[in-house]
Formats: sequence, structure tokens, C-alpha cells
Amino acid sequence: MAKILLVEDDELVRDMLTQVLQRASHQVIPATNGEEATSLLRTEKPDIMVTDIIMPKKSGITLISEVKNRQPDLEIIAISGGGRLDPTGYLDLSETLGASVSFEKPIDNTALLMAIDLLIHGKRDKAATK
Amino acid sequence: MDGKNLRKEWLPFLVALTGIVLSAIFAHFLGYHIEAYLDLLDAIKHHLPWLSFVIGALISLLLAIITKTALLAKARTRSLDETNESLRKEISERAEVEESKQKLEVALRQGQKLQAIGTLAGGIAHDFNNILYAIIGYIEMARDDVDKESTVYKNLGKVLEATARGQELVSRILAFSRRQHHQHDVVNLRKTIEAALSLLRPTIPASVTIKFEPEIDPWILANQTQLHQIFVNIINNAVDAMDDEGQITIYLSRIPANDPLLKAFPANEAQPYCRIDIVDTGHGMDQPTMERIFEPFFTTKEVGKGTGLGLSIVHTIIKEHRGEISVESLLGRGAKFTILLPEQDHSEQQGEHHGQNTTG
Repeated sequence: MAKILLVEDDELVRDMLTQVLQRASHQVIPATNGEEATSLLRTEKPDIMVTDIIMPKKSGITLISEVKNRQPDLEIIAISGGGRLDPTGYLDLSETLGASVSFEKPIDNTALLMAIDLLIHGKRDKAATK
Repeated sequence: MDGKNLRKEWLPFLVALTGIVLSAIFAHFLGYHIEAYLDLLDAIKHHLPWLSFVIGALISLLLAIITKTALLAKARTRSLDETNESLRKEISERAEVEESKQKLEVALRQGQKLQAIGTLAGGIAHDFNNILYAIIGYIEMARDDVDKESTVYKNLGKVLEATARGQELVSRILAFSRRQHHQHDVVNLRKTIEAALSLLRPTIPASVTIKFEPEIDPWILANQTQLHQIFVNIINNAVDAMDDEGQITIYLSRIPANDPLLKAFPANEAQPYCRIDIVDTGHGMDQPTMERIFEPFFTTKEVGKGTGLGLSIVHTIIKEHRGEISVESLLGRGAKFTILLPEQDHSEQQGEHHGQNTTG
């Protein structure tokens, strides 16, 4: 069980992912863009942030670099549909900036859930050794 | 203009006529008063040598003038001929320039079109991936909620299969819009072709023979996977064009930097190129098909058999490698694809890596 901040501008994908994550008994805080995510992060303390890259207002890239500065222990998963500006949707860049894992849409949700579990365990292990 | 011409034509006659008339008048007077003139001759007797010299000199001068005029006329004719010749040359040069300009424009338009479609395809692919992802996600959840033996479960499985096809299509579209993000290494072209052929052979009917005839063993700066893609696409097309029987021959040769063939392709550099000819004995194609063959989504195959992206991807890849591709074909006579790729000086570039693979 983890608290997940889900940042995704596409309503259908956001709703679907919320359901998928909730079914895996995670707690989901949905946000529609980077700006909303930033304001939510002031009050909420999620374990993981799953964010889209190409979004209106504040893009995932900006969001990741900001969050990584402010909350270095927040695990980040970047997801992107690719195309539009850059063929890979800046996934490699998002990893350089601090995303732990990145996925290209359409994502295998089982793999996404596994990645989330692994990150959570890693985090708990780290916390335990401290 | 007319008056001037008339004067030019009649002037010699006028001069001659005047001379003849004057001579006649002189002869006439001489005939009647010959005595008086002979007396006069006596008077000027001691001037005669002097006079004869003057007449001789005048005749010589006259001859000199005539010669000079003739020479001038000849020289003028020659310079006129030269001007004519250079004009003719200039006209043919202009025509050549015009022709190559037109070729360049066509090539440029084709390139721009492909680029524009690539950009568009990238945008579509992005949105499409979102849509597909939502569909897949919801269906998977719905399937979790129903009995695994139910029709609903099975039918939703079919929807998933359909989305998988959609996914494949999008990845092809993305492959088309993906341009500069491939790592280029110095690779051996001959070995790459051989590798691509050994990949292909098991998938090709036994009645189709493939021959590879390399004249050279060149190195080029390229992305190996993309090179494979080129040969796999073209050879698969050739196999499809042959209805399971025929021969595909691949020639590999070198074109020196100053080869006239290179002039047919705009925007290339003066350097040696590797030339690959892929010749098949298939049913060939007509001119309208040939003109559109590298356009994305253009296909002659029946629905579901081809996406129409294969050769446009080949085109994109070759452009990315600073190469050229052209096709020659006649309906019923097979087709020949000619690919030019810049040759790499292996000794200088070995092991050098260009760019980063960002396809993730």
C-alpha cells in the first residue's frame, strides 16, 4: 500500500490509472497537470509520484526537476505517449532529471504496479537501514 | 530599316554605273577631239611618269581597301559564328540548370511532405497512445471482474487483440517520425547486408532465390538496426511482388566522388558513395505508383496486409544517413531500388560514436 500522486492531463487515462492503482490497494491523489501537482505536494506527502510528461501548464519535465530539488526522497515514475515534440516524449531526459523508472504508453499495467511495489520496498529498506 | 537595306544593295551598282557613264563620256570626248588631247598629252609629256605612278598607287590603294574590307567581313563572320556557338551553349546549359532545378524541387517537395507527415504522425501517435492506453486499462479491469469462462471475458480478449494491432501501427508511425535519435556507428556494410539476408531467408519461400554480389567491402557510418530495416522492408516488398517465385539480386559497388550519377541527386556531397542495387524479377510497377512509393500510408497491398509505411520508413532512414534512394521499374519487368550511402574512411573513424540512442 502506498500513497501515489498521479499527474495526468488525459481524463480517461487518469481515471483508468486511478482505478488500476486503487484496485492494487494504493491510495491515489489525482492531479490534472504540473501546477496542480505542485500545490498538492505542499499539503500531501505521497510516497510515489506517477507523472505524464507532455501536459499543458506545467510539463512533467519541469515538475520532475522541481520536485527532485524539494523532495529528493519522493520516488518518481515518468510515463509518456511519445511523439508530438520528441519521439520518446523526453522519457530519457526525465530519467536523467530524477525519475526512477519511465514507461512508454501504452503501458503494461502489471509492470507499472510491479515497479511501484519495488520502489516502495526499496524505500522502506532504505528507511530501515537509516 | 527598309530604305537603309535598299541603299546597301544598290550602292555598288550605283558606283559601277557612275564609273561606266563617266568612262563613256570620256571616251566620247576623246573620240571627237583626239587631236586636241594628243596636243594636251604633249604639254603634259614630262608629267606622264609621275601620273602613271599616281594611277598605279591609286589602284594599289584600291586593292588594299578591297582586301581589307574582305578581311573585315571574314573576321566578322567568324566572330558572329562564335557568338552563335556560345549562345547555343548557354541555352543548353540553362536548360540543364532548369532541369536539375526542377528535379531538386521535386525532391525537396517530397522531403518536406514526408517531414510534415512525420511531424503530424508524431502528434497523432502521442494522442493515440493515450487513447489505446485507456482502452487497454479499462478492458483489463473489466476482464478481472468477469468469469474467465464467460463470453464477455473472451470478447474483451478480442478487443485487447485489436488494441495490440493498434499499438503496432502506432509504433510504426512513431518509427517513421523518429528521426535523429539513433546511434550511428562505423559498420561494415557488406556484413550488415549478409546479416539482414540471413535474418530474412527463413521467412522467404524456397522458390525465391536471393543472390548477393558484393564488389567492395565498405564501411559506413550508420545505425545497424535501421540498415536491417531498410533491407528487410525492400526485400519483403520484392518477395510480395513476385508471387512466391523469382530472384532477388543485390549488388554492392562504389561510386567515386566525381561520378556523373551523383549529379542526378540533389544536395549530396562530393565524396565516394556505396551503391546498393536491389533488383527483383517481380511484377514491377507503373509510373504513378513509382512516384508515390515513398509516401507514408501509400500501399498497393490489400487492406490488412500492408500499412503503407515500409518504404516511407526506408526513405526516412536513408535520408537520416545522408543517403539517396531511387527506384526504376516497368510494369511486368521487375523493379530496381538503388541506394546510395556515403562511404566512411574506416581508418579514421573506427570506434567513433555519434549521438546517443534515446529510443529508451
